[in-house]
Amino acid sequence: MTISKLLVANRGEIAARVLRTAKARGLATAVLRHVAEQDGPAHLIADEVVMIDGPTPVAAYLDIPQIVAAARKIGADAVHPGYGFLSENAGFVAALEEAGVTFVGPTSETIDLMGDKVRARAFVEARGFPVAPSAIEDDDPASFVERARTLGYPLLIKPSAGGGGKGMRIVREDSTLETEIATARREGERYFGDGRLFVERYIERPRHIEVQVMGDGQGNVVHFWERECSIQRRFQKIIEETPSPALSPEQRDEICETAARIARAVNYRGAGTVEFIYAQDGAFYFLEMNTRLQVEHPVTEMVTGFDLVAEQLRIAAGEGLSAAQADIPQTGHSIELRICAEDATADFRPAIGDILLLDEPHGEGIRVDSGIRDGGKVTTDFDPMLSKLIVHGADRAQAIARARNAVQNYVILGVTTNTGYLDAILAHPDFASGDVSTGFLAEQADVLTAPGEDVSTLLMAAAALSDQRLVTDVMQIPEMHRKMGGWRN
Amino acid sequence: MRRIFMIASHEAECWLTHDGSRFVLNMPDGAVPCQLDPTGAPGAHVLRTGGRAHELRLAVGSESTFIHLNGRTFEVGRVDPDDRLAGRQGAAGGDRLLAPMPGVVVSVAVKPGDTVTEGQPLLVIESMKLETTLTAPRDGVVAEMPFTAGDSFGLKAVLAQLTPQEE
Repeated sequence: MTISKLLVANRGEIAARVLRTAKARGLATAVLRHVAEQDGPAHLIADEVVMIDGPTPVAAYLDIPQIVAAARKIGADAVHPGYGFLSENAGFVAALEEAGVTFVGPTSETIDLMGDKVRARAFVEARGFPVAPSAIEDDDPASFVERARTLGYPLLIKPSAGGGGKGMRIVREDSTLETEIATARREGERYFGDGRLFVERYIERPRHIEVQVMGDGQGNVVHFWERECSIQRRFQKIIEETPSPALSPEQRDEICETAARIARAVNYRGAGTVEFIYAQDGAFYFLEMNTRLQVEHPVTEMVTGFDLVAEQLRIAAGEGLSAAQADIPQTGHSIELRICAEDATADFRPAIGDILLLDEPHGEGIRVDSGIRDGGKVTTDFDPMLSKLIVHGADRAQAIARARNAVQNYVILGVTTNTGYLDAILAHPDFASGDVSTGFLAEQADVLTAPGEDVSTLLMAAAALSDQRLVTDVMQIPEMHRKMGGWRN
Repeated sequence: MRRIFMIASHEAECWLTHDGSRFVLNMPDGAVPCQLDPTGAPGAHVLRTGGRAHELRLAVGSESTFIHLNGRTFEVGRVDPDDRLAGRQGAAGGDRLLAPMPGVVVSVAVKPGDTVTEGQPLLVIESMKLETTLTAPRDGVVAEMPFTAGDSFGLKAVLAQLTPQEE
C-alpha cells in the first residue's frame, strides 16, 4: 500500500523529528495538540494540527477512540506513534487496523508478546537466548516471595507490564523484600494498570547495551549496531552513545547478531530495540525488546547515516528495507544528551517555568532534536525531557569534546535544566575512560553535583544591575546620598 | 539599596550604590565597581567588574534571574527584603510541608492528632510521573492533612501542617 498522509500521534521533540522526515518524503502531515498545550516546534512543521481533549493532557494522548477518529477525520492513511504514549499499545494497533489506517510499527501480536516482559523472556529463553535467573509471580503466586529469596541477593523487582524504570526496585536485604514488593506492585498498578511482578538476580555493576534492529515483516531483519545507555538516573537513561566503549569487535558482532536473531524469531516488522544487561565478565542477558523507535535512536543515525524514520515509513508502505546488513556502517562516534527540566542537585526534582531565552547550539557534528520554543512554558503535564543534543565525532574523544562544548553553549534560561550536570558527567574521568555501569550516577553523585568555581559576586552584580526597579531606585536617590554609598567603601 | 539573593540555596546580601560615575556592589567582604551593558543578541551582556569583562546571557524572571556564564547556567533567586522582615518564611517553615511542585497525592499515611517523629513518612505525592515520599520535618503532632489520595495540588500548597511547637 502507499502512504500519502501521516498523522503523528505524539508531541514534543519526537513529533517534530518524525514530521521532518515525513515531509521530506513528500507526505502530507498532521500532528495532535491538546487544547491546553501551546504551539511547539511540531505544530509549526505539520501541515495540519488536530486538537484533542481529555481530563488531563496525557489522557488525551492515550485516548485511542479519539485519536483513531482524528486520523479518519483528516483522511490520514497512516499513524506514526513516536515513543511512549500509544507506541506499544496492541489495542491501538488493532483499532487502527479496523479503521483501515496503517500503523507505522510492528503487528499487534508482536507488541502483545514483547509488551509482556514475562512472556517475552519465556519466548526468548525457550529459543536458547540468554536471560538472567528469575522468579515469575504468575508461575505460582503463593510461592513467589520464597522463590525470589532462593535466587539470592541482590534482587531486582520489576512490574511484568513495566517499562521506563517505573516500579523497579533493587533489594539487597531480606528484611526489605516484602515492603519493596508491595511498593513495586502499587506502582505497577498505577502506571500500567497491572500489579503482577517478576524478580531477577541483580547483576552487579551492569552495563545497559541495546541493539537497533529493523525488519520488513517478511523474514528479513538487519541490525544497525549497538547503543550503550548505562548513564541512568532513576533507571532512566540520560546519556547514550554508540559504539559502546565496553565491547570488543567480536563481542559487538555477537551481541548484534543475537539481537537480529531474536527479531527474526518474531518475524519482526519495523524498528525495534533489543535491550541487554551486560555483566562485567562480558556475559550478556536479554532484558526486553522495545517495539518502537527509541528516544536515543539519533546516535544510531549519526554513525550509520541512515534515517530510521524513513526506514520505518518505507516498511509501513510495503517497500521493504533499503539496505542489506553489509551496507550498514558504524562510522565515528556519537553521543546523545537528554536535556531535562530538573534539578540534579535536588534528587532530579522536575522543574517548571517559562522559557525566557533559548539559544540552541549548532555547528559541525551537532544535532539538536528540540521540543521547546523561546517563550514556551514547561509544565508538569508531560515528561521533563525538553530536547536532545546529539553530537558526532571521528572518535569517542572528539565526540565527548564536542558534546561538552555544545552543552556548555546550550542556553535555556527560565527553567532549571540538567545541562551543567550533563557536562559534569562528560568531564568525569571514569566516563572518559568508559569505565561506567548503570550505578555510575548514584555512586558519583557527590562529585557530579559538586559546586564549581564560585562566581557568586558576578552573579549578584548581574542580577542587581538587571533589576530595573533596583537600578531606578538607586539612581533616584539624591546625588549626595548616592555618593555617600561610594565613600563609605 | 539592599538586596538579598539566593544562589544554590545560600542567601547572599548586597547593597547597590552609585558613586556618580558608576555602580558599586557592596558586600560584607568588600565592594566592587560594576557595569552591565547589552551587546545586541537576545539577553547577551558584558559585565565589567574590577577591571575584568565577562560575557553572559541573562533573563529576568518573576522571582529569579537566570544567568548563563562560563558555560554554566545559574538561577539567582531574588528575595524580597520585606518578606524576610515579616518572617513569613522563617517562622512557619518548621510546621508546614509545602509542595515542592504541583502534583497529585498518591497516599496519606497519617491523620490529624497523630504523633509523628522526624523523618516519618506523612504522605506520598507524584509529580511528573515521579513518586516522592514526604516526611515529617521534626517530631510533633499532625494538625492538618488538607489533601486525600487522588487530590491535585499546586506549587507551594500546604500538604501537611504540624501543631506549633511549644516554646
